[in-house]
Amino acid sequence: MPIIVNLDVMMAKRKMSLNELSEKVGVTVSNLSILKTGKAKAVRFSTLEAICEVLDCQPGDILEYEN
Amino acid sequence: MEIKISTQQVLNVLKVIAWIIFIGLCIDAGGLIVNSFITLFVNSQAVNNFWIDSEYFSELLSFDRGNFIVIAILMIIVAVLKSFVFYLIVKLFSENQLNFMQPFSVPLRQFIKNLVYLSLAIGIFSFYGMRYTIWLSSKGMSEANLQELNIAGADVWIFMAVILFVIVQIVKRGIEIQTENELTV
Repeated sequence: MPIIVNLDVMMAKRKMSLNELSEKVGVTVSNLSILKTGKAKAVRFSTLEAICEVLDCQPGDILEYEN
Repeated sequence: MEIKISTQQVLNVLKVIAWIIFIGLCIDAGGLIVNSFITLFVNSQAVNNFWIDSEYFSELLSFDRGNFIVIAILMIIVAVLKSFVFYLIVKLFSENQLNFMQPFSVPLRQFIKNLVYLSLAIGIFSFYGMRYTIWLSSKGMSEANLQELNIAGADVWIFMAVILFVIVQIVKRGIEIQTENELTV
């Protein structure tokens, strides 16, 4: 898939575990795992907003397009 | 006083009804097979044991043995296929393949697809049976009661096959949308 999710990179920079991120964002661990491993088909804006708020980053830091 | 009937209650009732119909159809098909076998290979007087339209079968057997075999085979095929339809329905209920949390599933699609094939087959064999009895009438046999021979309603079965085919396409799209929704974070 051309869209690459760099969630694990941001989590490592902020020293945050998946469980912690899940609690703060309000998304289940399994769903975050789906996102992190690049298996997600779509991301809601509300989820992206919550992740960016918790990780203090921009959407472009998490999502990357590679042709 | 308002009486609310839940989906689960309706399904439970349908499960019981499906079992009753399945057992009835099995008895019907089994009886046809056994009676036909005994009539053809053991004792031709057993033709009077057919509980549906035994007079027609007696007349048919004395008219022509080959035609009797054809009609018997057609009736048996239709009866067995109808039993198999209800076997699939009973199996669907017994194995709890209906999941209302994720209703669109591959087993459900396969189940409806099987019903399409079976309905089409029942319709085709019933239609051919009807045409065969009409041809027999033109050759001097008395007119058959298709309802009693259980080969009536060919057009209804074919119509049902078409409708179910459309439903299969809808379920296929439903599976795609459901899968995409499951993978939406």
